[in-house]
This record gives sequence, structure tokens and C-alpha cells, in this order.
Amino acid sequence: MYAFEYFAPKNLQEATKAFNSFNDSKWLAGGMTLIPSMKLRMNAPSALIDLSSIEQLKGISIKNNILSIGAMTIHADVANSLDVINSLPALASLASGIGDPQVRNRGTIGGSIANNDPAADYPSAILGLKSKIITSKKEIDAGNFFNGFFSTSLDTDELIVKINFQIPESAIYLKFANPVSRYAIVGIFLSKYHDEVRVAVTGAASCVFRVNELEEGLFHDFCSSVVDKTDYGITNLNDDIHANSEYRRYLIKVMIKKAISILQKK
Amino acid sequence: MVFDIKGKFNSKLISSIGKPLERKEDERLLRGEGLFSDDFNLEGQYYVTFVRSPYPHAKIKNIDKSDAEKSPGVIAIFTGEDCLADNLHPIPHSPVPSTKYDLKLTDPEGKDIFIGPQLLLPVDKVRHVGEAVVMVIAKTNFEAQDAAEKVYVDYHELDWTADINSSLKEDSPKVWDEIKDNICVDTIFGNPEKVDKVFNSSKYLFSKEFHIGRVTGVPLEPRSALASYDSTSKRYLLYAGSNGAVRHKFQISKTLNIDPGSLRIICHDVGGNFGTKNRVYVEFPLVLWASKKTDNPIKYTATRSESFLSDVQGRDLLTKVELSMDEDYKFTAFRASNVSNVGARVISLSPLGKGIALVTGPYDIPLASARARAVFTNTVPTNAYRSSGRPEVTFAMERLIEIAAKSLGIDPIKLRRINLINKDDMPYRNALGVTYDSGKYEDNMNKALALSDLDNLSIRKEDASQRGKFLGFGFSNYVESSVGNPKESVELRVDADGFISLIVGTQPTGQGHETSFAQVAADLLGLAPEEIKVVFSDTDIVKKGGGSHSGRSMRHAGTVICLAAEDLIDRGKKLCSLLFDQNYQSISFAREGSFTWSDKKISWFELAEAIEGVELSGDLHTGLNIERENEMHEPVFPNGCAACEVEIDKETFVPKLTKYIAIDDVGRAINPLIVDGQTHGSIATGVGQALFETFYLDKASGQPLTGSLMDYGIPRADQLPSFVTELNEVLSPTNPLGIKSAGEGATTPALAAVINAVVNALEEFDIEHIDMPATSFNIWRSVNNKNKESKS
Repeated sequence: MYAFEYFAPKNLQEATKAFNSFNDSKWLAGGMTLIPSMKLRMNAPSALIDLSSIEQLKGISIKNNILSIGAMTIHADVANSLDVINSLPALASLASGIGDPQVRNRGTIGGSIANNDPAADYPSAILGLKSKIITSKKEIDAGNFFNGFFSTSLDTDELIVKINFQIPESAIYLKFANPVSRYAIVGIFLSKYHDEVRVAVTGAASCVFRVNELEEGLFHDFCSSVVDKTDYGITNLNDDIHANSEYRRYLIKVMIKKAISILQKK
Repeated sequence: MVFDIKGKFNSKLISSIGKPLERKEDERLLRGEGLFSDDFNLEGQYYVTFVRSPYPHAKIKNIDKSDAEKSPGVIAIFTGEDCLADNLHPIPHSPVPSTKYDLKLTDPEGKDIFIGPQLLLPVDKVRHVGEAVVMVIAKTNFEAQDAAEKVYVDYHELDWTADINSSLKEDSPKVWDEIKDNICVDTIFGNPEKVDKVFNSSKYLFSKEFHIGRVTGVPLEPRSALASYDSTSKRYLLYAGSNGAVRHKFQISKTLNIDPGSLRIICHDVGGNFGTKNRVYVEFPLVLWASKKTDNPIKYTATRSESFLSDVQGRDLLTKVELSMDEDYKFTAFRASNVSNVGARVISLSPLGKGIALVTGPYDIPLASARARAVFTNTVPTNAYRSSGRPEVTFAMERLIEIAAKSLGIDPIKLRRINLINKDDMPYRNALGVTYDSGKYEDNMNKALALSDLDNLSIRKEDASQRGKFLGFGFSNYVESSVGNPKESVELRVDADGFISLIVGTQPTGQGHETSFAQVAADLLGLAPEEIKVVFSDTDIVKKGGGSHSGRSMRHAGTVICLAAEDLIDRGKKLCSLLFDQNYQSISFAREGSFTWSDKKISWFELAEAIEGVELSGDLHTGLNIERENEMHEPVFPNGCAACEVEIDKETFVPKLTKYIAIDDVGRAINPLIVDGQTHGSIATGVGQALFETFYLDKASGQPLTGSLMDYGIPRADQLPSFVTELNEVLSPTNPLGIKSAGEGATTPALAAVINAVVNALEEFDIEHIDMPATSFNIWRSVNNKNKESKS
């Protein structure tokens, strides 16, 4: 680890001020990716602005069929929240499967989506649900948030305040986990709204993505045979020692069909 | 007393031997009171970071340390040239196993093997990614790391070779210019001409080539070393974990060119070894040397990344096996050609040699030949890794048997039964001249089969199929060998405070010696295990000893404890005779740990008190303190088998081990609870390689792609079933307690048993073999290729 300055501001104004007073400062949410990469000397921020003391960024609430989760809410809180379990059980289940207990008690939803690791679980929920990212500067629609490999549309000094999820009729998250890291090799987030079906895939490519052609087909006929019938060309899938692109393409199909059949039984 | 008239251990003495006592060391370890190498610190210690090679193979053209030397906190920066200038020697690795019974490996001309000298820091070129090149010493760890980044090593990249096949090629890049190619060992054993003859006229002949891939040990505790030099006493002190500090002491002193008596090594608790800590690492002599040069204590602790890059690794054997049978399916001859990837230097040929000796396994095969080769590659050296060499050859034999049985259309269990060595033929000399001491191989198999419920296997397969799984059954027999360093020593000392100290040369790395050694000594001396204090870990106290490897510790320590106990009892009688003016013959030693004559009785500890202050002369001058050494060359052959079931998801092809049965003949189990725990770990080691583990190098760059626990898959509890383990104790005739060994046996058949189950589960696809690790990706690929094949 290289030397760095450390701040723990109490509110957004202080945070932004501290952030902007250094050239190469970084926000610290749960630190589940940033700290290990700093320890490996692969990341060398001049200052860390720790967001864990900003109460405004934490908490879970429901209002008008919108589930709001503060950016600094840890995975364990999402997994155990009765509000989440009752309104959007797929999200609680997703959170309960991230990493291990240590990670779930430090890692945050905001940190996860701001980092946009291609194998992270949360980005699939953002895209697989109708959601909005509320930041310190603006509101970003889910579809405009992820920009590619570890990249988002956030400005460097912009903070995620909370995420608003429109609660679907039903939803499911299914992960095919890497047997070693337990990250997603393929993760499927499938949701049904009265006017739309969404299918988002994480882990398989350089960035989370939606399978639009399939969504259309499933909206008209929610059944797994649609997956075989639809031509949804997916290209540029990841190729690594744990799964090549062909196996990932195969798994996407298998996991989507599995997700559909589970939702059908519900 | 200790031995009966036949020279065997007197079984009447047994009281705590064979009891599943809980480990004495557990409370200390579970309370966090263990003392591991990195727990030691000396005031004002400096820290070391090593600049390591980023290339598999490169010439070192120049090292510019001028920037780094100006970095804050830097004390000194040393390179290979500095080591040469101070006349530091290469580490005197002794890769060829040293007992009379080991098969003798030679170079291709039948001469001594060129091992590729391991200088402490290289001066000519780097030969693997992660090789230490420059040593940077600073006041803090961070300062050392900062400075290390400012050392500029000018490399000229060279072509490299990482795998066996490419290293064998004539036009392969050469790891060492000192020899004409990369082949450092080439020796033929057995009778190739006769085998050829039998093969040519045999009814059936089967052959197959297997690669048992590269794995690494991943001990929980990375290696660590803390050194200091005392200029007044001119003595060096090193805190460093290993499997036995005594051998390290002698090898390190040779490297440093110093008298071994001037080096003290302290090694308390060791957090896992599996072979990774058997050998001297360059960092150990380097921190000692540098601590003298800087006149300050110096500390080095490897990071997890450094462990992955530079811990010695395991396995990596290419083997081609051929087996002939007559019309009754009786094995008639066997041929193996084994090539071991030793990495950039030969630090151990145990995997190759031990494997070659056992290529025919537990089967009665009248004729065999084996060619043993070793090749250099631009990879980390390989060493003995849990059950060195034996899982590899067991894998080849047990996979070949399955392949043969399938092709013949007969039950593979039946094929094994026809050919297993009969217990009445023990001791059995195998076709390569290796004599198995004892064992009831068919009984092992029967025990496992009785627990396997094969009658209902088809019902379980059907049931699994309904649940969307392919279920497969796998089986493997094994025989392995336990040889190791032939010498062991022990000191027994009766202290008046109510303990007998047992000072022993072998070092535990998690095997529970404090408990099991105490059980043996307690029974022999008529005491309770709590009254025996096992002492190890400090070379100023422990002067001799072979270390823990090759399943040797319990057997060697047990034997020398027997000898020392007899001496100590004799000494006790002589002291009683002297002190109480009695005839030696009239004194007897009673089982409850006391000496008696007429109506008198005195305990060990009362006797120790009684001799305090008494001037003892001649033979008795050491009082109740006995040192004893023993040298024992004869190997023992633990054996057994494994049966398991694997379920593979029909859609994702994820395999899951659902049932595992291990039957092991460890000889006499001194503490069956410890043996059981060892068996569990041993199974996990084997299953790990079968299903999860491989040290993967990028084919284009030679860079490791599994350099962390994010990519290197060691098995976890939720990936393993609850194991069923049973012992089949057949006492070895080679040592008084009848011990064979535990801790490595169960690893030996695990690779084959699991892969046999995976292949069996996929029977409808008619797949002959699946390479390890059998991950869902590998299985899917095999099935997919098969489907493509059948479509075309």
C-alpha cells in the first residue's frame, strides 16, 4: 500500500469539499475492491474519502411502490431487511449471495454499482429492474448508468445517494458462481412488470447488459421455449480459464430458462 | 520389557496408545496462543522486500539501484553480485532420496544429476516468474516496497519453455546452458526387453497417456523469516517455520559458509506445509547474511501473492502407461514412461522416484519396466507435495484399469480383484524390485465395497436422473510408500517437577506430535500422556532429526522413543541400585511408572528428586537423561482404497462430490482421532486436485493466471461431503510399534477415484477420460466435443 490521506466526512458537502481538495482522491464505500487493490499497490489514491459516517447515504424505505436503498447500505442489511424480503425478495436473495459474511457486512450497494465490476451481482439488478440512480448531482436512469468495463456515467466527484427500484410483479436472480471466487460467471436478473419483462446478464461480458430481443418475446409469451426460439445474438462474451465464451453463451441460455421456469411456478 | 521375545513391541504395555485422545496442542492453537514465525519480532528490526522476476526466462543485463538507494528509509540493497563477492554458496539441495531402498535416478549417461545450482540471487539470468532478483532492506515494510519499485532491472527476454512436451523437444529453449538439453534425469528400471516380448504376444494390450497437472500447497501461513546476528557471541539466530529445523540449519550454514554450531533456528508452530516448507528458501540465508552485514535484525514475511509465485509446487507428471493381460484378464506386464517437470532447478526428485517404484501399484504384475525422466522448465521448482509421486502413478494405473474394463466389457472391480496382490504373498516384491512390507489389499476393497451399497447404485442413478443429475461411482485402490530421512533422535529427561521431557528432532506442521508422541512415551514409561512434555523447535535443544515428510515422523519417532525408553528404564534401575544399595536384578520396573524392590517403591519423579545433588560418575553421569539415535532404512507401504460418488448437473455440468469412503491401512494407529483428522485433510488435498486445483500458466506469456485465491481453487467445506473413514490396521513388521504412516495415504487414491466417478457419471456420452481438474467447464467441453463428434 502507498501512503494516502484519509477523511471521514459527516455530510455530502464536507465529502465533496474533501474530495475536490486533492488531485487524485477516491471515494471509499465498503472498500471491498479498492482496499485489496491498494494493498496490491495497483491503486494509489492520494486521499480516501470514507463515506461510512454519512447517515444520509444509508437506509431502506418503501413508498408508492418504489423501494429506495441508500448507497451506503451494506449487503447484509439489504439481505435481512423485511421491506426488501417482502417487496423484492429477488434483491434480498441477491444480496445474501454476495461474497462471504465479512464482505456482506462491509460491502455496499452504492460501492458495488459505482465500481461496476463485470462479475458483480448488483449491476444486474439495476438493469434487470426499472430503477433510477439518485446522485449528489442528478438522477440517472438505469439504462444510462453503466458505460462499459468498470465504467459508469458518474462524474469523478459525483456520489450515489440512493437507488430507487420500481417493485415488479415478480423477479428472480440466479447466479452461476465461479467455484473459486464465487463471483458470477453468469448471473441472470429476470423481472416481470405489467408492461415489460426485463432480462439482465452479469459476469458474462465486459459489462452488465440486457437481452432486449428476448425481453420482447418473453413479454408476449413467458415460457422457456421462447429462449430456444428467439434469435438473440450475444457477442463479445468473456473468455478466461474458468469459462470460455462458448460455455458462457451456453450457460446464459440454461440459466435464463431455469429462471423462467422458477418464476412460472411461483 | 518394551519388546517381547520376538523383538516386537510388548502389546501388554498398551494403555493410551490407540486411544482417540484429543490433541494437547489444540487449546493453545484455538486460543490464538500459537507461535508462528511471523509472530516473532525483534526490536528495531528492518524489513526486506524482494524484487522478483516478471519474466519466465530473461538475461539480467544490468541492475540500477541508484534511485532506490535514495528512497526514504532504505538501509541496503543487495544483488547476486554482492552474494558472490561475499562467497555465499548455492543452497546444497539434495534432490536424490537418500535411503538404501530408494530407486537410484541418474542423468541420461548414468552419471550424477546436474541440478541447476540455486544461487541465493541469480547473476546470469532469471529462470521463472517470481524468482527473487534483488533484496531491498528498509526501516519499514512500506519503505522497502516503495524502494523496490525504484530498482531498475534491465532484462533481455529469452524464449521460454513451461510444459513437459515442449521441454522435451530438441529445439526447445534451454533452461541451463550447462547441459545439452532440458533432460536432467533419464533412467530405466525393470526389464524392458522381456516386457516388449510379453506385449508382442499378449491377448490384450491397453495404453493411455495422462498428465497429472501442477498444483501448489497454499499453506495458511506464508513462509517467514526473522534473522539476527550477535557480534559478541558471533552467533546467528533465525526464526523460520519449516518441517524440521535441523536439516535447515546444516544446509543454511553451508550456504553461508559458517559453522553449523553458530546458527540457531527456532521454529515453533507451523501453519501448514504440504511439502512447501520442506526446503530451504533463498530468503532464509539471505536475511541471516544481511543481518550480519547491517548489524541489525531483519524480517521477511511472504505475501500471499509471493507464496503463489515462489512457493515450491507439486505434481506435474506426464505418464504413458501400457498394460497387457491374458485371456483370464490376469495382468502379465506393465510399462510406464514418466516425465517429471522439475521446474527451473532440481530441488527434489522424490515425486519421480517414489512414483516409479510404485507404478505397478497394489497389483500382482510379474513383469514391468519404467523409464524415469525429468525435465527443466521455466517454472517454479516442484517438490514433494502431500503423498509425493504416489497419487500420480495411482491415477495412471486406476484410470487405465477402468478404461480397460470398459473396453473388455467387464466389471472394473472384478478386474481389480483378479489382479490384487494376495495377503498370503506378503512381503511382496514388485516387478521393479520394491518389497511391500505387509497389507491386506482385498480386505480393504471389500470393506469399502460393503460401505458403498453398490446393489442399489442403479436405483440411486435413476433417482439422481429424476433430479436432473448424472450420478457416477468411482473407485481406486492404492499402495504408497513411506521412506524419508533414515535418521531420528530423541532425548528423554525426567524432571523432578512431575514431567518427562521428550525432545525430538522431527517438527510437526499440524500433525499433533505433542499428543501422539506423548501417548507412546507414556505407555512405555508407565505414565499418563499429560506427564510427557514434547519439546521440539529449537536447534540449540534439538541437535538431530530428520523432519516431517514422507509420512516418517510417527514411525521414526515411535521407534526411537521405544529404544530410549528402554534405556531410561535401565538407567532408572541402575540409579535405584546405586542409591538404595540394592542388587540391580532385584529391582523391577512396574507398569504404573515406578521402580520396586522388596517392599519399597519409588516413582520416576521421586527418583529424580532423590538423585538431585548426588554426584554421579561414569555411565550414570547424565542421571535420568537419555539420548538415543536410530537409523532405519526399511520403507513401509501404507495402503487402502477410496470409493466415491459424484453427481453432475445435466444442464450446467457442475460436479458435486456427494459421497466419499476411505479405507486406510496406516499400520498401528497411535491416535485414531488424529489419524482421522489427517485422513480428512488428505482426502481434501486429493479431491482438490481432481475437481478444483491447477496452477495455470498463460500459454502465450508464461505468466501465472492463478496467482490468488480468486482464481486458484482450493476445496472448501461446502464443496465436500461428510467423509466415511475406516482403518484396516495391519501392523508393519519393520518397526517395533508396527506403524506405517498416516496423512498422505488418503490423498493417493483420491484423484483416481473422483475422476473415475466423473467418467462413470458421463457414461451415456461415452467419454474415455476427463482431465483434471474436472470443473464444469472441462466437463461441458468434453461433452460438447463428443456431441460435435457424433454429429459429424
